[in-house]
Amino acid sequence: MRIEISRLTKTYRGGVHALDGLDLDVPTGMYGLLGSNGAGKTTLIRILAGLLKPTSGTVHIGGHDIATTAGRLAVQRTLGYLPQDLGVYPDLTARQFLDYIALLKGIDSRTTRRRRIGEFLEVVALTQDADRRLKGFSGGMLRRVGIAQALLADPRLLIVDEPTTGLDPEERIRFRTLLSQLAGERTVLLSTHIVEDVAQTCRLLAVLAKGRLAFTGNVGELVSQADHRVWTLTTPGPAPSHGRVVAAVPEGTGMRYRLIAPTAPDPYARPAEPTLEDGYLALMETGR
Amino acid sequence: MIATFRYEFLMQIRRPVLWIVYGLTFAVIVVTFGQPYAELSMGAGVDRHDPTTAMIVSADLLMLLLPIVYGCLLADRLIRDRRLGVVGVLDATPTGHTSRLIGKYLGTCAATAVPFALAYFGRAVAYAITEGEPSALGWAVAVFVTTTVPALLFVGALALAGPLLMPPMLFQVLFVVYWFWGNLIPPRMMPTLADSILSPNSRYVAYGLFGYRPAQQPPDVLVAPDYYTYGPVSEAALNFLRPEAGVAVALLWIGVMLVLAVSVLSLARLHAIRTES
Repeated sequence: MRIEISRLTKTYRGGVHALDGLDLDVPTGMYGLLGSNGAGKTTLIRILAGLLKPTSGTVHIGGHDIATTAGRLAVQRTLGYLPQDLGVYPDLTARQFLDYIALLKGIDSRTTRRRRIGEFLEVVALTQDADRRLKGFSGGMLRRVGIAQALLADPRLLIVDEPTTGLDPEERIRFRTLLSQLAGERTVLLSTHIVEDVAQTCRLLAVLAKGRLAFTGNVGELVSQADHRVWTLTTPGPAPSHGRVVAAVPEGTGMRYRLIAPTAPDPYARPAEPTLEDGYLALMETGR
Repeated sequence: MIATFRYEFLMQIRRPVLWIVYGLTFAVIVVTFGQPYAELSMGAGVDRHDPTTAMIVSADLLMLLLPIVYGCLLADRLIRDRRLGVVGVLDATPTGHTSRLIGKYLGTCAATAVPFALAYFGRAVAYAITEGEPSALGWAVAVFVTTTVPALLFVGALALAGPLLMPPMLFQVLFVVYWFWGNLIPPRMMPTLADSILSPNSRYVAYGLFGYRPAQQPPDVLVAPDYYTYGPVSEAALNFLRPEAGVAVALLWIGVMLVLAVSVLSLARLHAIRTES
C-alpha cells in the first residue's frame, strides 16, 4: 500500500505549525520515520490513521484520498494502528479488549475473532494472561496488547508510533523481528525517535524536523551524512567545546568522547566510522 | 454500535460502586418511605389494590432519588475514553463515531438502569404475589416503559454529555442540585421546572395515560374540573410549561424526553467533532 503525501500542512489552534508543506512517498515494505520530539511525527501518523484532518495538502493511501469519508473508511478497514500512548479499558480482560477492537474493525465472525485473538496473543506471548483484567498488566504487557490489537485485522498498512517504548530489551528485539516479518506485502510505517529501532528494521526512512522533511532515502545515505565528521577523543580534561558530544564513556583516569564535528575538535581526536545515529545527529546539526 | 453497546454494558454492570450506591440509596428510600413503600399507597384514598395505581406509586417512589444515582454513575462514561487514552485506537477503526456514541449511550444507560429495574420489578413481583394480582406485572412493564424509560433516556444523555463541559465531580454536584431544583421542589416555592413538561419526574403519563388520581384534590391546582387534574399550579412561575394532563400531553411529554435526549447527544457529537481537529 503506497502512501503519497503532497504539500501536507497541519496548523493547530493557536497557530502552531506541526507540519509544513510535507511531501513524502512511502512504498510497500518497512519504512522508518525518525525525528526528535515535536518534529511532527505523531501529527503525521494521526493524519494517516484518519484521526486528524490536515489543514491543507493531500494524502493518498493505496489510491484512497483520506480527505473523503469513503477514502478514510477504506484505509481504516485495512489499517493496524498502535498509538504512542495506548490506553486500554482496565476493567476488561486482554481477550475481551481484543474482541472489542476486532468487532470495531469489522471482524463479525465469532470463530474468526477467536482464532485471530488466540493467534496474536500467542505472538505477543500473552496467552497465559489472556483472561486477566488489564488493570493488573505491566507497561510492557500493555504494549504487547497494543501490538496484538494492531495486527488483529490482518492489516495491509501498519502504523506504529514509538512501539518499543516500555519494552525490555528482549521484547524490543522480538517486536522488531515481528515487524520485519510482517512487512513483506504490507506497508509498515515505524515512527520513533529511537534510531536503533530503525537501524535494525528499515532499509528506507525519512527524517522530520520542525514539521518539514529533513531527509528521505536509505539507511546508508543517512549514515553518510556523518562521513568524515565523527571523532573519538580520550582525554582527562573536559570535552572540547568544538563539536557535539554523542557519547562519553569513563576510561581510566579520563573520558572517551565520541563527537560530531566538521573538523577535528582536538589535535588528538581520531576519525571514527559513522553509525546511523551519527548520521541522524549530523543531519540534525546541519539543520540547526 | 452493537459491539460498543455490549462492551460498555459489560464494563458498567461490573462496577462494584454501581451496586453499592444503588443499594444504599434504595435502603434510604425503603426506610424513609417505610409504610407507603410497603403498601404502595401514597396517602389516604389511593386504592392500593388497583395494580395500575400501585405500580405508578412504586415508580414514583423510585424516581424520587434513584435518578440521582443513575446520573452520577453515568457522568464519567463518555469522557473516560479520552482519559484512559483509548480513543485513538477506537477512532482508527472503521466504526463511525456516531455509531459508537449511540452504542455507548445505550449500553451504559441500560447497565445503569439494571439495579433500578430490579428494584422496580422486584417490588412488582412481590405485589403480584401478595395481592394475588398477576396483571400487576403487565402494568409494571407498561408503566416502566412509558414513565421511567423516557425519563432515564433524557437523564442518561444529560449525564453523559454534561461532563464534556466541566469536571465530572462538579457535574455530579450540579446534577444533584438540578434534580432537587428541577424535579422535587414544589413549584410554588420558587421558579422551577418541577411538574413541567420538561421535568423527567413529572406525572403526565400517570395522569394522562393511566388515569392516576391523587387521594385528595391538591389545594394548588388552578383548574379543578370533575376530577383532579395535573397541570398549572396556582401562584407558580413557568406555568406555560405545565399544560393540563391528558393523553396528548402524556405523549407529548414522552416525545419531549426523547427529543431532549437526542438533542443533548447531538450536542455531544458536535462537541467531539469540534475538538477532533
